[in-house]
Amino acid sequence: MHGFLLGLANGTSCLALCAPVLIPFLLSEGDNVGQNLATLLKFLGGRLLGYLLFGLAAWAVGGLLLEAGGTQALLIGGTYIGLSVLLLVAVFRKKRPAGGACAVSEAQARLRRWPALIPVGMGLMAGLKVCPPLLLAFTDAANSGTLGGSLLLFATFFLGTSLYFLPLPLLGAFTRMPDLRIVGRFAAVIVALYYLVSGVLLFAGGVQL
Amino acid sequence: MTAQTQSQEALPRMAIWKALLLTLPIVPFAASGLAMTLMSGDAQLIELIPGLVVCILLAVVFFRMLVTGKTHRYRSALFIVLGLSVPLYLMPQLIEAYGTVMLTPEMTYAGKVQFCPMTMFMVLLPAVLKGVVIFPGAIAYGAMWFLLWMGTSLTIGRGWCSWGCIFGGWDEFFSRLRKKALVKHVDRKWRFLPFAVLLAIVLLSAITFHPIYCEWLCPFKVVSEFEAPTSLATKVALGIFPVTFLGLVVALPLLTKKRIQCALFCPFGALQSFFNKVSIFELRIDLDRCSQCKRCLRECPTFSLDEGSLVSGKALMSCTRCGQCVDSCPKGAMSYHIKGTRIGVSPNVARLLFLYPAYILFCGFGGGVVTGALWRVLRLITTGSMI
Repeated sequence: MHGFLLGLANGTSCLALCAPVLIPFLLSEGDNVGQNLATLLKFLGGRLLGYLLFGLAAWAVGGLLLEAGGTQALLIGGTYIGLSVLLLVAVFRKKRPAGGACAVSEAQARLRRWPALIPVGMGLMAGLKVCPPLLLAFTDAANSGTLGGSLLLFATFFLGTSLYFLPLPLLGAFTRMPDLRIVGRFAAVIVALYYLVSGVLLFAGGVQL
Repeated sequence: MTAQTQSQEALPRMAIWKALLLTLPIVPFAASGLAMTLMSGDAQLIELIPGLVVCILLAVVFFRMLVTGKTHRYRSALFIVLGLSVPLYLMPQLIEAYGTVMLTPEMTYAGKVQFCPMTMFMVLLPAVLKGVVIFPGAIAYGAMWFLLWMGTSLTIGRGWCSWGCIFGGWDEFFSRLRKKALVKHVDRKWRFLPFAVLLAIVLLSAITFHPIYCEWLCPFKVVSEFEAPTSLATKVALGIFPVTFLGLVVALPLLTKKRIQCALFCPFGALQSFFNKVSIFELRIDLDRCSQCKRCLRECPTFSLDEGSLVSGKALMSCTRCGQCVDSCPKGAMSYHIKGTRIGVSPNVARLLFLYPAYILFCGFGGGVVTGALWRVLRLITTGSMI
């Protein structure tokens, strides 16, 4: 319950942190509400995975992870670069219509479905982004002492924060405005470039968060 | 009959006495620069000269606008003067006050930096959501800006971008240097870039609590002030500003004869576009008079008219109400228009009602800046130094 309340209290921050990635991405895809919901669930799935990894780390190494010099910068820089690469791939990939007429082998079909995992990857990167609410959860999890307690805290934290994401699929209501998709694609590229530059600078030790 | 002759015929000219009378209400606003000098205290006679010159200039230009019926020609000249005056006005001021044009974040947060209206779209979301003002300047000054911006935006919509923006004159200047455009076709999709920049910057500014556009992209940092290079990030940003300035404000306007920064990049302009929906003024095409020559499409400096406009009779929401289409239409089919009234009825009245708030806005910003710049030039000539 503590993790859930912590998530609920800090959910707006988590939404704000993920919105620059999610909103342009959802707009650029130009999908309807249902398809956006599926994308969001994939994103949240990836995010949950990221949180559970944090839970594992909190149990395994506790505060040491955060105290190690430069670890945060490397972690955040890495997730920024990962996010930007995934966003750029998502924007520039050629979107294939569902149920294409061409006959393809099973292997080819599987390869063609890989872009469906992009939201999962983005969610994972977003989940690994160190932010103040996550640090709070991390500290509490590190203090819980057990693996189960740590994972449970992050899972409930995830649930609390995820509630704020639920309205996002409604962006699909604007699919009748095809120009909005162009705006989404441009915005996704700008956000990706921002994260790329920020990530590289973090690695170079130039930015203090 | 040539297009030029037709254009001359279509001009709505005004009697000189009537134009003089209608110019009178503008004079107090045209004297804003002079008033600023007088309010500064023990101003000497020579210091009043720039304010007086600018006051006369602004009044005469408005009078000429009324007499000739031409809008864009005069607005553009003033707008360019305003843009080019900004560095002459701002930079010596900063050097006098702080010894440098490179500001530190501490100076910004201490409220020592003038509030820039272009930060408005980045400031609003963090201010509403978290109660944090991320570009402080002087808070009282910012609040004044907010009210001024909201009032004028609701009145003249995106007219702000052609009548109030202190920077737009730069790309207007470069867009008018060549006689013919070297690049004549710009893909339609680029018109959506400013909205994307707006969306991305608003979201990123909200999460980082930093005015991202100012810190990373603003081309006009080159002609105003910029953050001191105290970290790798600020050094990288210092490398980006000249690139965006040379690309968006100099090279592309030269090649296309369009205001590329204003039309295809500026997020503040994109925000202003939404105000066109609520403003009572708009640009309309009288389809009964339109000969479909498409001259307005070619002339519009912000890509705000397209083939659809020739069918609907409306400019796009990105229209900056600069008046170029009105001036250039050989049939007089383009006109300023008040929403809810009949097309083509009393276009002169609609134009006049638009010109008053737009020109007052220009006098409000331009008067002080141009006067200040002129004073610095005068000082340079008389003393050998602007400072």
